[in-house]
Amino acid sequence: MNLKETIIKLSEAVGASGAETPAAETALDMLKKYCPDAEIINGNVIGRYSTHRDGLPSLVLDAHIDQIGMVVTYITDSGFVKVGNLGGLDRRLLPAQQVVIHGKKDIKGVICSVPPHLSRDDGKVPEIDDIAIDTGYSKAELEKIVSLGDSITFDVKCRCLAGNRITGGALDDRCGVAAILYALELLENRETAYNVTVIFSTQEELGERGAKIGGFALAPDVAIAVDVSFAYAEGEDEKKCGYLGKGAMIGISPCLSREISQGLINAAESANLPYQHEVMNGLTSTNADQYAVAREGAKACTLSIPLRNMHTPVEVIDIDDVRNTAEILAEFMGRAAE
Amino acid sequence: MKELLKELCLINGTSGDETLVRNAIIEKIKDYCEYRVDNLGNLIAFCIGKKSSEKKLMIAAHMDEVGFIVMYIRNDGTLCFNEVGGVDTSVVIGRQVTVGNNGICGVVGSTAIHNLSKEQRESAPKYADMYIDIGADSKEEAEKMVSLGDSVYFDSEFAELGGNCVKSKAIDDRAGCALMIQLIREGVDYDTYFVFNVQEEVGLRGSTVSSFAVAPDFAIVLEATTASDIDGVGGAKKVCSLGNGPVVSFMDRSTIYDKELYRMAFDIAAEFGIPCQTKTMIAGGNDSGAIHKSRGGVRTIAVSAPCRYIHSPSCVINMEDFENMLILTRELAKRIHEL
Repeated sequence: MNLKETIIKLSEAVGASGAETPAAETALDMLKKYCPDAEIINGNVIGRYSTHRDGLPSLVLDAHIDQIGMVVTYITDSGFVKVGNLGGLDRRLLPAQQVVIHGKKDIKGVICSVPPHLSRDDGKVPEIDDIAIDTGYSKAELEKIVSLGDSITFDVKCRCLAGNRITGGALDDRCGVAAILYALELLENRETAYNVTVIFSTQEELGERGAKIGGFALAPDVAIAVDVSFAYAEGEDEKKCGYLGKGAMIGISPCLSREISQGLINAAESANLPYQHEVMNGLTSTNADQYAVAREGAKACTLSIPLRNMHTPVEVIDIDDVRNTAEILAEFMGRAAE
Repeated sequence: MKELLKELCLINGTSGDETLVRNAIIEKIKDYCEYRVDNLGNLIAFCIGKKSSEKKLMIAAHMDEVGFIVMYIRNDGTLCFNEVGGVDTSVVIGRQVTVGNNGICGVVGSTAIHNLSKEQRESAPKYADMYIDIGADSKEEAEKMVSLGDSVYFDSEFAELGGNCVKSKAIDDRAGCALMIQLIREGVDYDTYFVFNVQEEVGLRGSTVSSFAVAPDFAIVLEATTASDIDGVGGAKKVCSLGNGPVVSFMDRSTIYDKELYRMAFDIAAEFGIPCQTKTMIAGGNDSGAIHKSRGGVRTIAVSAPCRYIHSPSCVINMEDFENMLILTRELAKRIHEL
């Protein structure tokens, strides 16, 4: 598979939290190549990899399929669309952004921006209640296309930057989805030490809800959440960040399994793969937190792809980090079998 | 007209760096008029009319758009930049941009929302705190792609919205340029100068010299002007509204317009059955500010497309307003000669 093309296709697919279907179907099509029986169950894309054999521990590879966005809450008499947020939105960068409202058909809109002669010039950022979307349509026209509860996403295409870096709108966590798919490709014809199941889960941005029910359904022994984490950039706290291009970030936390963290580190080191540590002192705010306590518990870990500008339309990743993440995963699953 | 507008808006040309815009315009008008380019880069075209007139008329629009300029390249390969013309930082943060004329892609990044203090989340960013990330990891790598002084543009598509509206960067003032190209190509009744100005956004600099050179008696300035008929804004603060026709104002921050021309515009609109509106706040300004005070004074009117989110990557205008500007301007040009 062409990793860059896969990431771009996934990132440009649409699936705000609670409205993941288009992105989930895109991912499902891709997953079926490796897991022919994959299907969408209660929103989550779930597929069993290879033949599961008795006696092996079960392992879940998770990436979330949802992206941050907005939801239509009201249409004003003059035809502006009022919204609520889906996930953590940076309101500072909303004015004049181009968005798509996913109604009966997709329509484009622009987030209203108050011109300088009216802004109080106090540098205040609009509240979510102040946000409105201009579609050009009247209320009557809009009501034929848009219903309350429809989702809204940033209208953004991926662009290639220097080196192997790309920018896009939903790289969190479609690059994680791509990393898992690529790991399965690397594994082909290799024995695994686990009965591996893949899940692309919903509603992570709203509190890991898809993983909550997915964890119950799959009841894994081991779970690895493949997500994104903070890559250092000007303005970020270097102590809390990984670096772009320096490899996947292996999570270490009181809430994670030390055994799996070490297993991932061993896999990386034995194959001479670069990696970075991501030390947390409690909950990880990823789906790993859900798998760890699903049913009777699982040995959970995070494997994160460093990403800049998280939750903005200009997220940035390095493709090499996605490839490296897949390589560590494949090495971890395959190595233990040998 | 929509195709012409789209083509012009998607060309990059900020103040002082209008060459690509000017070249595209020359290609479109060269078979229809005489033209020259002055020392600042203004494109001055002259169209011979079917009739000659004692009065000298100049129609003007500006070619430049607001944008940014690379001021410094840091050791980590990121670019420090500042605005060219007035651009609110809230429409800059979190955008894709194009750096220089080689089309280098970049983004204006932002510290992740998760890592901002409550105070930081609630305050608009400053240019000094923003940077462009082109993916380079070092100054040396960045310098292979970018030079100090490179112009930077919004990377923003031209999109059709509902209600016959369109959305793009640079509608201010490629809308005026498009109308002038159309007028040149369809031919004029009376001899007319058409001036495509540079550097409007940095202080009306192009129009200062071109209006001196042309020395007109009358001027029609074609523009896009701030409309804030948006959610939560009512009454006079809307200034003007999309769909209510071309905007002809009696006064703005730079000009008190010629009263007779002002009335003439509304009379024409009434006769032709097209809407026409004035501004309900004294706001904004345009090349009229330089033109009306040129030499011994120029009787000046501005005809503008009401434009939401002006000076952003997502300017929005109504195409009917735009078409009506053409009708109004065409007739104004004729009647000014017959005054």
